[in-house]
Amino acid sequence: MLKIWSMQQQAENAEGAGGKKKKKVTAAQLRVQRDLQELTLGSTMKMSFPNPDDILNFTLTIEPDEGMYKGGAFHFSFSVNQNFPHDPPKVKCTQKIYHPNIDLEGNVCLNILREDWKPVLNLNAVIVGMQFLFLEPNASDPLNKEAADDLRQNRDAFKRNVRASMAGGTVRSVHYERVMK
Amino acid sequence: MASADSSLRWKHLHKVLTKSGPFSDEDWVPGPETITALETSKILGAGGLGCEILKNLALSGFKDIHVIDMDTIDISNLNRQFLFRQSDIGKPKAEVAAAFVEGRVKGVKITPYVGKIQDKDEDYYMQFKIVVCGLDSIEARRWINATLIGMVDPENPESLKPLIDGGTEGFKGQARVILPTLSSCIECQLDMHAPRPAVPLCTIATIPRQPQHCIEWAHQIAWQEQRKDHPFDTDDLDHIGWVYNAALERGKQFNIHGVTFQMTQGVVKNIIPAIASTNAVIAAATTSEALKIATSCNPYLDNYMMYAGEEGVYTYTFEAEKKPDCPVCGNLARNMTVDPEMTLQDYIDTLGDRPEAQLKKPSMRTEEKTLYQRFPPQLEAQTRPNLKRKLRDLVENGQEIAVSDPAYTIDFRYRLLFK
Amino acid sequence: MTDLFPSAQTGPSSKERKYDRQLRLWAASGQKALEESRVLLVNSDGPWGKQSTGVSGVVGVETLKNLVLPGIGGFTIVDPATVTEADLGVNFFLEEQSLGKSRAAETCRLLKELNPDVEGNFQSKPIAELLKKDPDFLPQYRLVLVSGPLKRSALNALCKAARDLNIPMLYTRSVGFYSTFSLQLPPSFPIVETHPDPETTQDLRLLNPWPELAEAASRIDNLETLDDHQHGHVPYLLLLLHYIEKWKETHNGNVPSNYKEKSEFREIVRSGARTSNPEGGEENYDEAVGAVLKSLNPFSLRSAIREIFEMEECKTPRADSSDFWVIASAIREFFQQHNVLPLPGSLPDMKAQSADYIALQNIYKTKARKDIEEVTNIVRKLESILGSRPAEIPEKDIEIFCKNAAHIKVIHGCSIPEIDREARIFKAIQNSISVPDSLIPIFIAFQVLDKIVTDIQEGTLSAESLDSETAWNAQTDRVLSALTHNNQSIIDEDTQERIVEATQELRRTEGGELHNISSLTGGLVAQEALKVITRQYVPLDNTCIFDGVRSRSEMYKL
Repeated sequence: MLKIWSMQQQAENAEGAGGKKKKKVTAAQLRVQRDLQELTLGSTMKMSFPNPDDILNFTLTIEPDEGMYKGGAFHFSFSVNQNFPHDPPKVKCTQKIYHPNIDLEGNVCLNILREDWKPVLNLNAVIVGMQFLFLEPNASDPLNKEAADDLRQNRDAFKRNVRASMAGGTVRSVHYERVMK
Repeated sequence: MASADSSLRWKHLHKVLTKSGPFSDEDWVPGPETITALETSKILGAGGLGCEILKNLALSGFKDIHVIDMDTIDISNLNRQFLFRQSDIGKPKAEVAAAFVEGRVKGVKITPYVGKIQDKDEDYYMQFKIVVCGLDSIEARRWINATLIGMVDPENPESLKPLIDGGTEGFKGQARVILPTLSSCIECQLDMHAPRPAVPLCTIATIPRQPQHCIEWAHQIAWQEQRKDHPFDTDDLDHIGWVYNAALERGKQFNIHGVTFQMTQGVVKNIIPAIASTNAVIAAATTSEALKIATSCNPYLDNYMMYAGEEGVYTYTFEAEKKPDCPVCGNLARNMTVDPEMTLQDYIDTLGDRPEAQLKKPSMRTEEKTLYQRFPPQLEAQTRPNLKRKLRDLVENGQEIAVSDPAYTIDFRYRLLFK
Repeated sequence: MTDLFPSAQTGPSSKERKYDRQLRLWAASGQKALEESRVLLVNSDGPWGKQSTGVSGVVGVETLKNLVLPGIGGFTIVDPATVTEADLGVNFFLEEQSLGKSRAAETCRLLKELNPDVEGNFQSKPIAELLKKDPDFLPQYRLVLVSGPLKRSALNALCKAARDLNIPMLYTRSVGFYSTFSLQLPPSFPIVETHPDPETTQDLRLLNPWPELAEAASRIDNLETLDDHQHGHVPYLLLLLHYIEKWKETHNGNVPSNYKEKSEFREIVRSGARTSNPEGGEENYDEAVGAVLKSLNPFSLRSAIREIFEMEECKTPRADSSDFWVIASAIREFFQQHNVLPLPGSLPDMKAQSADYIALQNIYKTKARKDIEEVTNIVRKLESILGSRPAEIPEKDIEIFCKNAAHIKVIHGCSIPEIDREARIFKAIQNSISVPDSLIPIFIAFQVLDKIVTDIQEGTLSAESLDSETAWNAQTDRVLSALTHNNQSIIDEDTQERIVEATQELRRTEGGELHNISSLTGGLVAQEALKVITRQYVPLDNTCIFDGVRSRSEMYKL
């Protein structure tokens, strides 16, 4: 028998905090609460919480003020599961956009969202990485191969495609959503 | 008390419970009381090692055993989960296992629950003396760990429920004993679970090199594009077959050989190899500790045993350390008496004055409600109206809140008791 | 919507589905070996005395459970005991209605339920009788499991018969919180598929590339002129080969050979990476830098392989040598010619364009195939010289051997250890007993118990002696004095105390088993049985001791 079990049992909790024990804040919630508090959002990023009581699901909007994607507003859904921070947050672009590192289904290729995720990383690291994708789209390891080829082969044409797609136009027979602010 | 018949039947076990040994605690009193303590200890078993755990607990003299398992029996369980037969496929594991062991071992009562451990609350877990888990997901382990730690009431020794955890992978496994709040917990040891290795999404999308990359493409990209409207079911062989064929095609396109059905299943379901013998080792390691903890007949594991069987028989037993900044057991909830008529703003002001932690810029929440979140601005604006509301309108008497403050790397938990 | 990829018509068979989780460990070849094996369990040798029922045989039954589930071909349980009340409290494979019946029959019946693919038989006679009566009894088995203790004479006869037939044997003891088991293997027990950690076993030949590999590296001579995309996707292996060539130009044709040179070399590689890109570096260069220390080593033959090459069976295979030794001999010849082993041919994944990676992979595969062909030719030559072998060695076996050549293993089996049998065991015990936390005292305690049991079986002690202070003290003294007879200082006071404690703990159940400890031990023993039968992974050599008080185990060669 465990020694501490056999210790003299003391009187019931004098304060007798009424009734049933309530559910406790989970480790994932606590970590997100802390991560949110430690974010540094520049003027180009906004977050919205459809349900403010659910901090595990929210939207991040990036509005680049420089670079090729300047003037657009890009929405990403963040979904954090109860196994956070062991598991990375799941991030998806909710619009169809023309970007070498984001495919037409909204999947995002960012190393720290997958192969390089570590529990010591926080939401800020993810958000900084996302912002960087719009300043410096990376052609060398693409998800959208056509966009990457364009960027590599003809940067000006790529820029034109970005503008056209952002305005809701068609690039290489794919129709894109209008994402201008 | 044991009858003559049962003392014949349990003669070997009763000998270690009625005689002290050179390593048993000096204060321990062996004898009938110990046997009664064992037989009246309600114990819970859960998870993939369930068959072995139930058998072992029943043959360790526990009489009141509960089992939780949400799964139904699959053909691939039959190579190790020895209480199940071909004809049981599709039936709930907990029920079949409980009935089998009850039928085999006279005098034992086994109560099954078909569902998730998360379905149950503290009142349920409070009835047990010990919890033995052979869970297969980290998430479930973290949940039961946090739940049992949250239940500890320093005023009530009975609220301390030792958690004995076992897990296996191929020829390897581990068993550990966690005394909630007193010893290193699962959250403290989280970095011992290596994250599942992942391949960059862009490699999968554009430059596959391995058959696994082709499978991931078929599973994560091709399915999304082409079968958007059919949710992927890893147990549906037709779905696996579709992914297999898609991966095979992609392999052909890139001259990558080696995509097989078996590999496809392995990648898509993240299958971990499992055999009867490793499960037997680890399950028995956990139940042996349960017997020792329930009876004090010998010292229990302090606190971690690793096993690896690929090369000879290798075990390593050590004491994992308790982390002072563990988010689960590092800072336990303290009681705090508050005036329910006080506004949240007033309450926050009092936190700033508390001597143990002058929380000047706290954010805080309950499990279901964000009380006040200082950043980001959108959420601050959404929660600002709460500052003017009375505590009674925001929390219930006895509810726990969690507070984070940028000045501290650790978070605080308070149980708010109304004046 | 058109379905581009229709579902597979042929999924796995129901047998593949049932065994899926284990096939991932030992593949179809291991499963086949398992299904072709019959295992003999000698689960007791009858009662120890009038009042005592003898060994409960729980380890044995639990071990069989772990072999029946994965699908061994068949088993036979030899057990002259009758089921008692005490059996029901410790053995899961017995039920109320088994009371008073043959334990062999009942455990056999309930174990067979676990897997309809497995054949089960039983014999309710003592093993000594079976061995004497039927010389063909033992040879049908691939493995013998024994739940000790057996009568000394029976155990000796069984050990000898198994050794003469080259049948591996596992001898187990489980009492109270302690257990120990030993594996008796044939004098030479070779393993090809040892399944080493893939991380530690890469053989890339970067310092001595064969012509085709060197040629591939020379094709990136224009590294500086490649565009960023190409530059960032050159496989790291080729990068290393490229920079090694450069290094040789300025180092009299020598490669970086010591830690200092390798560190210097690593910096050269690092400085080749382009950093003016969005990521501020290149992954393939990161991989190259990370691989310098572990991959830039000249080929060297591991000492274990060198020893195998020096063995007589390897140097001069005979017509009746097993296939293993003929192939080993061919590989030895290959090594003598080339100073390297056949190339395993596997290539780790690395940052690269698909086509470039596949091309590089093909260079490795092609070379490996060539090496296999060469070894096969030597094997065929040996076969024709040796003459009159039953069958040609299958090509598949030669291929598997070549892929695993650097990690093959030969275990020199020895007998089930018994304390006063051989001077070698004395020495081993004396060497390991004084190590702090040594578990040898538990082994000694078992030897003391077994001597008491032998005396009870032979009628010189009464059954009550299992809990008699005098009997235990007398036997402990006997064992201790045997251990110290030529060197008093071997066993100091502290060690003696530990031995006494171990005997006290062992005495608590008077020889009885606890289910948990026997089940755990049955898991460990089954694991070893699987490794022996499949000839995959590396089995115990030769004794394991488990301490359930402290939840620890150790291996000893006794």
